[in-house]
Amino acid sequence: MKILRDHAILGAVAVFLIAFPFLIALLDGQSIGAMLAGQSGNSKFYQGLLIEIFILAIFAISYDLLFGITGLLSFGHAMFFSVGAYTAGIALKSLKLPLPETLVLVVFAGVAQALLFSIVLPRVKGITFALVTLGFASVFHIVIMSHELNDWAGGDVGLQNIPKPALLDPANQRLTFYFVALALMLLVYLFYRRFVDSPTGRVCSAIRENEHRAQMLGFNTFYFKLAALIVSGITAALGGALHALYQPIVSPTSASLGYTVNALLIILIGGVGTLSGALVGAAAFRLLQFYLDKLFGESSSFILGVVYVALVLFLPYGIIGTWRAKKLEWRAAWQARWRAWSAARPRGK
Amino acid sequence: MTTIIGTIRKNRTQTITLAALILSFLLAIQGMETGDWIITILRGLSVAAVTFLVASGFSLIFGLMDVLNLAHGTLFMIGAYVGWTAYVRPDTLLDLATPAALFFAGLLLLPLWDRWLSRVRLAPQAARGLPWLALALGVGALAFGFARYPITGWDVTVYDKSPVVFGVQLDLGQLDLPAPAIVGAEQLGVSMLCLFAGGGLIALGLTLLESRNRIAAATTRVPWRALLLALGLALGGLALFAWNDALTAFLVAAGTTWRFLIAVIVATLVGAGLGALMESTLIRPLYTRPIYQLMLTLGLGVIGREVVIALWGRTQMQMPKPALFNTIGQGCPAQTIFDALANQCSTISFMGSRIRTYNEIFIFIVGVIVLIVVWLLLQRTRIGMIIRAGVQDRAMVEALGINVRQVFTFVFALGVGLAALGGVLAGPSMGVSDDMGESLLLSALIALAIGGLTSFPGAAAGSLLVGLLQQFIVKYGQIGIALPFLEQPFKPTPPLVPASTLLLMVIILLALPNGLFGRKE
Amino acid sequence: MDNLLQVRDAHTFIGQFHILQGVTVNVPQGAITALLGRNGAGKTTTLKTILGLTPPRQGQVIFDGQEIQGRHTFDISALGIGFVPDYRAIFRDLTVAENLQIAERKQGDLARRQELIFGLFPDLKRLIKLRGTQLSGGQQQMLAIARALVAENKLLLIDEPTEGLAPVLIEQMMKAILQLSAETTVLLVEQNFAVATQLAKYYVIVEEGRTVKSGAMPDLLKDEATIHRYLGAA
Repeated sequence: MKILRDHAILGAVAVFLIAFPFLIALLDGQSIGAMLAGQSGNSKFYQGLLIEIFILAIFAISYDLLFGITGLLSFGHAMFFSVGAYTAGIALKSLKLPLPETLVLVVFAGVAQALLFSIVLPRVKGITFALVTLGFASVFHIVIMSHELNDWAGGDVGLQNIPKPALLDPANQRLTFYFVALALMLLVYLFYRRFVDSPTGRVCSAIRENEHRAQMLGFNTFYFKLAALIVSGITAALGGALHALYQPIVSPTSASLGYTVNALLIILIGGVGTLSGALVGAAAFRLLQFYLDKLFGESSSFILGVVYVALVLFLPYGIIGTWRAKKLEWRAAWQARWRAWSAARPRGK
Repeated sequence: MTTIIGTIRKNRTQTITLAALILSFLLAIQGMETGDWIITILRGLSVAAVTFLVASGFSLIFGLMDVLNLAHGTLFMIGAYVGWTAYVRPDTLLDLATPAALFFAGLLLLPLWDRWLSRVRLAPQAARGLPWLALALGVGALAFGFARYPITGWDVTVYDKSPVVFGVQLDLGQLDLPAPAIVGAEQLGVSMLCLFAGGGLIALGLTLLESRNRIAAATTRVPWRALLLALGLALGGLALFAWNDALTAFLVAAGTTWRFLIAVIVATLVGAGLGALMESTLIRPLYTRPIYQLMLTLGLGVIGREVVIALWGRTQMQMPKPALFNTIGQGCPAQTIFDALANQCSTISFMGSRIRTYNEIFIFIVGVIVLIVVWLLLQRTRIGMIIRAGVQDRAMVEALGINVRQVFTFVFALGVGLAALGGVLAGPSMGVSDDMGESLLLSALIALAIGGLTSFPGAAAGSLLVGLLQQFIVKYGQIGIALPFLEQPFKPTPPLVPASTLLLMVIILLALPNGLFGRKE
Repeated sequence: MDNLLQVRDAHTFIGQFHILQGVTVNVPQGAITALLGRNGAGKTTTLKTILGLTPPRQGQVIFDGQEIQGRHTFDISALGIGFVPDYRAIFRDLTVAENLQIAERKQGDLARRQELIFGLFPDLKRLIKLRGTQLSGGQQQMLAIARALVAENKLLLIDEPTEGLAPVLIEQMMKAILQLSAETTVLLVEQNFAVATQLAKYYVIVEEGRTVKSGAMPDLLKDEATIHRYLGAA
């Protein structure tokens, strides 16, 4: 019953998101044909905004698996994303590989950095792990900006002029790109749900609650943390590849601490360890950023800071987390109200 | 002797790491000429001192309360801006002192409300809404009163009147303060009353909020001490207002050295006040959900920075060095420190290189003094004892009947005060800009990771390593390192400065996961 | 019979886990009451609930005539409750002297109680300058109890004082507890049934977070069925 309801919500959201470009086009008075042909307009613009949200959501959900589910606090998660983006960009541009081979390479890069992070896992825990991963990511950030790698990575400007595959060109084939990004996000979400509910995922949750107890139960926690790292690494790298395909430029800031902090903020806004919180949080985060910038211009970051503080105070466990905690309470309150109302209503015909 | 060997054997990794560090330090010195490495070490010590001021506060807060205060960099920067204001614009400082005194006098009515509330029984509905109403009214009254109070400041939008210009003017010795704003007596009275009432209403709101969580009645003695203090503050504020012009003239005439001292004190106190305010209002409800503290402190950091940009503008400002360290003329560069003090020299010549008295000597000395004072506070006082115990086991300290909440507020105030002190000290050497806090927070974090996150001596050692390493890399960037198998000397590029400290951190953490001085948990 | 402390039907949650599901404890004035039960029955949580370290969601805690549930731990403790946790919680960075000083609630508490403390544990006087890290397990246990004696507490909550100690030390510890119970009331959690029976005048048995039986110790000793069922001892 519960599974059905969960998926009902997901299904409704998916249907809405599939219909969304067409709805906007209709509202805007743009013909569906023109929209399908990728002509500019509100629909194309909002598709672009949503694509950014999908990519952010993929990035954030991979962070949620690591931090929210397994309890590994990493301050270097942006590197997972950035390596994916740079690998895809360099493979397409400098190595002139076709897209499928590029994606294989991206997956390998994701696994490779998960292995790199896992080397330090047995040595350092908690906040120290976070700082070591921050060290890795910052070194990568600095290396990618260095002059020596200018021809490959584009220095501190970033990687530009990545050749886009004709079928997935965000300029001409925006709608296709939109559906691909949406599909990837939904697939990632469903896979993560399955992973978290699987025995492996349960052990990961147990590690977050109390690693010592998980060890006492006979689990070698290292392998489970490694599994979470690898899944998370591949997902983030794929998100990064999508980013490289979509954006005109891959900036080295995508490896900076600020980018990791974005992922952290997204899952805090959505609700830590809820998975769906990452999707909701990504939407809330990007839309807040976008509309606050539009409305307040210069002072938008001030308002954003105020919003963060307000969220912490009034949505104590993020959107999804607070919703889950209060759902029963609210439902009971509404039922009581409904009963009182129906009791007060005169009966009979 | 045997005990030494025993200690070494027990801490083998520590010993090897320390030996490796000392060895690489000696190697780094070997590659330079004497004058070069002396100046590099001095610069490193100065950077270390500023880093230490930020890192030690951060580590105290993290150690006792497990709060990673990501706003610490912003608070460092705010310290610099507040210090700049007290230093360059003494008239603004004095104008602001009166409203602040009146507001705090109002806040001090808190125990009086407490007493009153213990006699009144509120209906549950009233208890829910009333505190917020009082708080909103208080903030409203405060804003209303403050907007009507005459403050001579600057105008960010007009170039002639922007803070940048006043900084340059002071540097050239031709500071030209604008005429004080004048308002009618009636408006002034209303404004002062509103400021006082605002403080009182906010205190009422806080008392009401607090009383919801309390079960038994509090003590009901008349809080004479708080009331007297409130009266004193209010009268002091009024006196400051009455003698505003005379005091301004006095401060301007007192010269930059004295004003710098005042700036340091004001910035530290403002930082401590901000810290206490942050802890007691926003951080306190979040001790049960530590992760959200990250979001809160991040948000506060952003807000602080934006407020600073709105008030002082976006550009970098000059904070001229105080006169004591700023003369070039006769007898300078000095030969000894005493000569330098006598002639107020900006530099000392030593082994063929020029050492700046402010940057390389004064900052370092202040850092050492702070190190000693805080160390004594931790080791010799009761509150220090409670802090050391609380870092290990907060629950047990509470179970001994010690009000840890007061200790938390104190430590937050202390930590943020130290960061603000670092900010105002760094002002004259680094320049005052809105992004000065970020890179320093990262350096401080690295220093703490190296030294051991919650260890006070660790914060000092880590800062020392980070400062020295940074300056050596910078120096080698100028003169180049002669490496084997390379024709040209290798010159580290600027990005390698942060990269090197990060690498050092990763290496040390992998060798010693708890840092050099950290304890195994 | 006057009760210094009463816990009435306390329900405590740790995270989502319902640990105490109705614990009722009466601690009569001026005697030792033993809290008995198997591992994980909720004995330590009961002590923490009394102190407010894990506040109860339901039920009452009444100490010296006032309800104290829901107050801050430091307020509760300052009413006159001393706590000796099972993990001893000696402050490692503090010397033995400082570990005692920190427990002062009024200036000069330690000076007043010095005689009593060093009378009970003469060893501590010798160790006064050592740091917490340098003490053995038995010495730490002595210090933990001594620390609870510095302030004038009406009630001591002592959790597993003999756990992991050598038989000689157990005897010394028992003697000390008996001696101090002459002037303070004690609520004692003890796994070692033999120790508990010798020390305590009253008993309370908790099982799976509920109080299942309580009364005077001599009655329990006659009731072999209860002992067998809840304590697993013969």
